[in-house]
Amino acid sequence: MVDDKTVDVLQKKKVRLNNTAILFLILVVMFALFSYVGRPFFFSKLNLIPMINNLSFVGIIAAILTMVMVSGEIDFSIGGNIGLTACLTALLLEKGLPGWLVVIIALAGGFAMGAFNGMLVTVVGVNSIIATIGTMFIWRGIGYTITNGESKLALNTVIDYIGRGFVFKVIPFPIVLLVAVFIITYIIMNHSKWGRRIYAIGANPLASFLSGINVKKVKFIGFLFCGAAAALGGLVLTSLSAVGMPQHGQGQELVIISAIILGGTALGGGRGQILGTLAGVFILSVLYNFLTIMNIYYFYIQMVQGSVLILVVSTYEIRQAVARRRT
Amino acid sequence: MEKAVKKYSGFLSFLRTPTPTLIGIYIVMMLLFSLTSDKFLTIQNIKGIYNNFAVFGILAAGVTVVMIGGGFDLAIGSTAGLAGIVSSVLLMKGIEVATPWVFLIAIAIGCTVGLINGLIITKVGINPIITTLGTLAIFRGVCYFWADLNPRVYNVFVQNFGRIYLGNVFPITTLYIIIAFVALTLILKFTRFGRDLFTIGGNETLARLAGIPVDRIKILSYVISGFFCSVAGLLLISQLGSGRPEYGTGAELEVLTIVVLGGVVVGGGRGNYLGVFIALIIIQTITNGMVLLNVPVFLRMVVKGALLVLVIAIDAFRNKRHLQLY
Repeated sequence: MVDDKTVDVLQKKKVRLNNTAILFLILVVMFALFSYVGRPFFFSKLNLIPMINNLSFVGIIAAILTMVMVSGEIDFSIGGNIGLTACLTALLLEKGLPGWLVVIIALAGGFAMGAFNGMLVTVVGVNSIIATIGTMFIWRGIGYTITNGESKLALNTVIDYIGRGFVFKVIPFPIVLLVAVFIITYIIMNHSKWGRRIYAIGANPLASFLSGINVKKVKFIGFLFCGAAAALGGLVLTSLSAVGMPQHGQGQELVIISAIILGGTALGGGRGQILGTLAGVFILSVLYNFLTIMNIYYFYIQMVQGSVLILVVSTYEIRQAVARRRT
Repeated sequence: MEKAVKKYSGFLSFLRTPTPTLIGIYIVMMLLFSLTSDKFLTIQNIKGIYNNFAVFGILAAGVTVVMIGGGFDLAIGSTAGLAGIVSSVLLMKGIEVATPWVFLIAIAIGCTVGLINGLIITKVGINPIITTLGTLAIFRGVCYFWADLNPRVYNVFVQNFGRIYLGNVFPITTLYIIIAFVALTLILKFTRFGRDLFTIGGNETLARLAGIPVDRIKILSYVISGFFCSVAGLLLISQLGSGRPEYGTGAELEVLTIVVLGGVVVGGGRGNYLGVFIALIIIQTITNGMVLLNVPVFLRMVVKGALLVLVIAIDAFRNKRHLQLY
């Protein structure tokens, strides 16, 4: 005979997997499967380190963009920002500026681009999709204009270290950056007042405003740091490829936004997890890397990416609809 | 008296749309370009401008319908590319399907893609931007199934479809655009579908509560967009004389710029074809004028982006009836 207490304990023990856990589970299964199918190349140092480096540059931007997207806005200009940062870095290095100064100027440029987007959205009051599609053209166009469409070598000890350096001779520097960015954003989003404000704004901007949150300020700062993160990503990419060219980051906005949405962030804001974004970035990068290794045509890889995006979002929507029906 | 008041308020509401600003921009631009370049105001050049915006104009016709209903269609470039390459393969030497069938198949492809988009968006309930981003990648991939065939278009009818000039001056493609825009304006104004579409774009929940078949109308709007994509695909292979899998890449951003510049509000509920038409001419004139003025290729991108930002900023300022607090 089962008494009430045991029933209680039993019910509590019934573990409910949340979306993020499911994503990580999928990632582990995928990784194991790919290591087997793609042996011996997939699970080798020669493949894993470049994969992780590429993934970090996407992840750094995705983490910060998640904050912007949870607050209900979006930034399409990240790809253009990467391109302009890469060009700026290469040009300044060519002028003979020291590496550390170039990094500071590039990051300052990122902040400036972010501030411009933020002003457009908060002060002028323009829809962020359109505003950032416009600025995407502008940043990339400026990148093309200042380099005259050419790619320029970017070789410098500091710049080299950002993308290709190793901390303690083992850990690639980009992964250190990635981990740092994710720890910081995780703490902000889950354990700070600021993070609670971001969630509140995404869920209901009017209610947040009425309860005394400075909505515009929070959104503006989100855009500001999104610009800086994109510039940091641009620096990593410039370092990885050792050239600054205006085509850098073309189409990356779609990859990054796909990863974020895969991670469970709602487009309208209010929902989203930093760890989910991390899982999304890993899943897309691993999948992409595996398909490339298997020698699959680039456009078919894109097809797979598109299908994955639609499939994942459909499952979210259907699960939510089922949950709503239950209550 | 009442009638006069109504007319006045109608005119006022016209002034509140971005169309007057656009007309102003266009006049200033025409003056600027004709003063700085003596080649600008020639029949040859104007002809070229009008014939060059054919594909974007046809695509904009469909996208405007979708956006008025509160939707978004980013898959247009891929859909046009798909319809284009399939019909060019059907026209290849050795296959040579009869021309009417080619047109029918192309249109069927476009409408099917639109139907798929619409079904995913309404029945599964995914955000339209995400859905069409996904289908953009998928259908672009499908285009590459025929990448190695490299089909050329020898069919005379298809060649003429997007190339001939009426009376040697007026491009027939502009006629298509005018017919499409006028027809769609009438449909949006005077049919039940049109009024319902505006209602859905204005407030979807309200529309649902009022008993409007929201899903059906939204799906139809995506099918209309797909239809125009297939026409644009046929124009592409007609004007370029061959079918390539990359045709139409990036058209979605160009068309989005045009449509938003034309005053169609993102989120739906507002928009008119006059504005879209003027925006179409403006974008093409700027491209053309910058070529004539020898503006570096790369600076043109900056100018286009800046123009988009400027126009929506003006639009935002103009429509700020109450203080925006958040």
